[in-house]
Amino acid sequence: MKRAFLLLLLVAVAACGPKRPPVVTTGPGAGTSTAPGTYSPAPEPVSEGPDIQPVDSDMASSSDLSDPSGEGGPLEDVRFDYDSAQLTDAARGLLERHAQWMKSRRSLRIAVEGHCDERGTVEYNLALGDQRARATRDYLVSLGVEGAMLTTVSFGKERPLDTGSTEAAWARNRRAHFAVSR
Amino acid sequence: MAIALASNAAQGQTQAPPSTLVFDPTGVQRFAIPDCIPKRPDDASREACRAFTQVLRNDLKFEGLFQFVPESLFAAIPALNPDSPNFEDWKSVGAKILVITRAEVVGAEMHVDARVSFVDTGQTMLTKRFSGKADNPRMFAHQLSDEVMTLTAYKGVARTRIAFTSDRTSSKGRIAKELFIVDYDGYNPRQVTVNNSINILPAWRPDGQALAYVSYRTDRSPLIFLAEIFLGRSAGNITGERTSGEKASQAFAPAWSPDGRRVAFASNRAGNMEIFSANADGSDVRRLTNSAASDTAPCWSPTGAEIAFTSNRTGVPQLWVMDNEGLNVRRLTTLGNYNDGCAWNPSKQYSEVAYTSRIEGGFEIAVVDLASRNVRQITEGRGSCEYPTWAPNGRHLAFSCNRSGTWQLSVADREARQMTTLSAGPGNNVQPDWGP
Repeated sequence: MKRAFLLLLLVAVAACGPKRPPVVTTGPGAGTSTAPGTYSPAPEPVSEGPDIQPVDSDMASSSDLSDPSGEGGPLEDVRFDYDSAQLTDAARGLLERHAQWMKSRRSLRIAVEGHCDERGTVEYNLALGDQRARATRDYLVSLGVEGAMLTTVSFGKERPLDTGSTEAAWARNRRAHFAVSR
Repeated sequence: MAIALASNAAQGQTQAPPSTLVFDPTGVQRFAIPDCIPKRPDDASREACRAFTQVLRNDLKFEGLFQFVPESLFAAIPALNPDSPNFEDWKSVGAKILVITRAEVVGAEMHVDARVSFVDTGQTMLTKRFSGKADNPRMFAHQLSDEVMTLTAYKGVARTRIAFTSDRTSSKGRIAKELFIVDYDGYNPRQVTVNNSINILPAWRPDGQALAYVSYRTDRSPLIFLAEIFLGRSAGNITGERTSGEKASQAFAPAWSPDGRRVAFASNRAGNMEIFSANADGSDVRRLTNSAASDTAPCWSPTGAEIAFTSNRTGVPQLWVMDNEGLNVRRLTTLGNYNDGCAWNPSKQYSEVAYTSRIEGGFEIAVVDLASRNVRQITEGRGSCEYPTWAPNGRHLAFSCNRSGTWQLSVADREARQMTTLSAGPGNNVQPDWGP
């Protein structure tokens, strides 16, 4: 069939100028027969292919279940301006208090999470969240907090505290959150 | 619109370079797709035929290469005799190509016979017989549509799939994001990740067997994983980020090279977000960017020679291009002050890059032509659209829009003449990646 079709094409191409209607010539072989029922191709299998298998259904993350990046926890969230990873004066004041608290609890491990509001692209917000988390961590370290206590992680706009689309919701979502563990 | 149907290069061993067969120089390549005729009078065969016809029409219309005789005109001519069609009847309603299909369901099996003919000459272009399980008649139509597309210069998309992220499994007060896969037309949603964490940014490996993605399931820290979707197997942290201590790092935004050998990604392992590439097993890591700004969201050119990416090194996010070793860096977008999330058209025929652009406070999909640097806007309206991805043949784009109040997947042709929203299931459906 394929060979016959190919032949048909080649013959037709040879016969056709761009401005003329196609001249289709039947090539040798039965694949292009116009007589119905005289040519019956072998059946081709139709299949969706293998089934898609879910991965890691046994790997539900317990730490996620216990802390959905909410406002809870001993340390208040640090807020940011729109599209900015700069620490405001208010943020610095808050972090100075956080630093005192952390310095007296050196056995703790604290993940500094950078979060963003929903405006802007996924990728840019992941980068912005990373900048917010690192700016927060770096300031804490400059205040004498041990770097080994602190890790950073960006959630971008993937896990907002408030799923609304208001100025107030956006302001709550532009933050560094502190996930404290032992 | 002149339609060129060319031979498919894959069809013969001794074939000359693909030549173009112009069926109709006057420009109308008009299909008639009458209802599939059941070969048995039972309900199962009738229903299979009905579903098959609808999907076949949708598939061929979607490709955007053909015109169609309105189905309402079919009633004006005598009923089709599938064994001996009267081509004069079909000519009278303006058909140039007639697609005759018959189907039957026998037990759990379905069989379809298809014949595609030139109406003017009665010549048969394509004869096919398909057999398979009866539970998904859509697949039979997709396969026939792709067969018809082999007669054109483009590979059909009817059997392609789109991976995406959805929050549909979230519970109150807890956002979960899992990966799903749907057929290109939004049907057959299937869940890939099941871990109640955040799983985002899926990227099809070019062989269609695996997805790279970013998951927070290990210590709430984003790392790149690989899901082998037909084996139900996944591998974690394939870029080898350090996961503990002061130098712990994260990785984002995986993108496969067209040959499937390397993954470009963004990592903050060097202190800030930079672009790296590595072999798929994590070996041979190379750092490609080096700036104090955030460099992220890489995408490969169709040859694999170049990588576009987002950088805010000028103060605002813009697209830049470099070669795949990180050299010869130059700026790609200059229009607007917020451009991100590149998707390079995979077809070498179209030299262009799609991306997300902030326009009048919202976000829209735009495409920049690499030769002229002209920008065309694909979407426009209330709310935003973002995260473009190309169909494998480069003729359509998928992306996500929140026009309806929630984020849903949409598809447009590359000239933005037609746009449809996919019904890919509940929840916010975002971050599409169009696979093979």
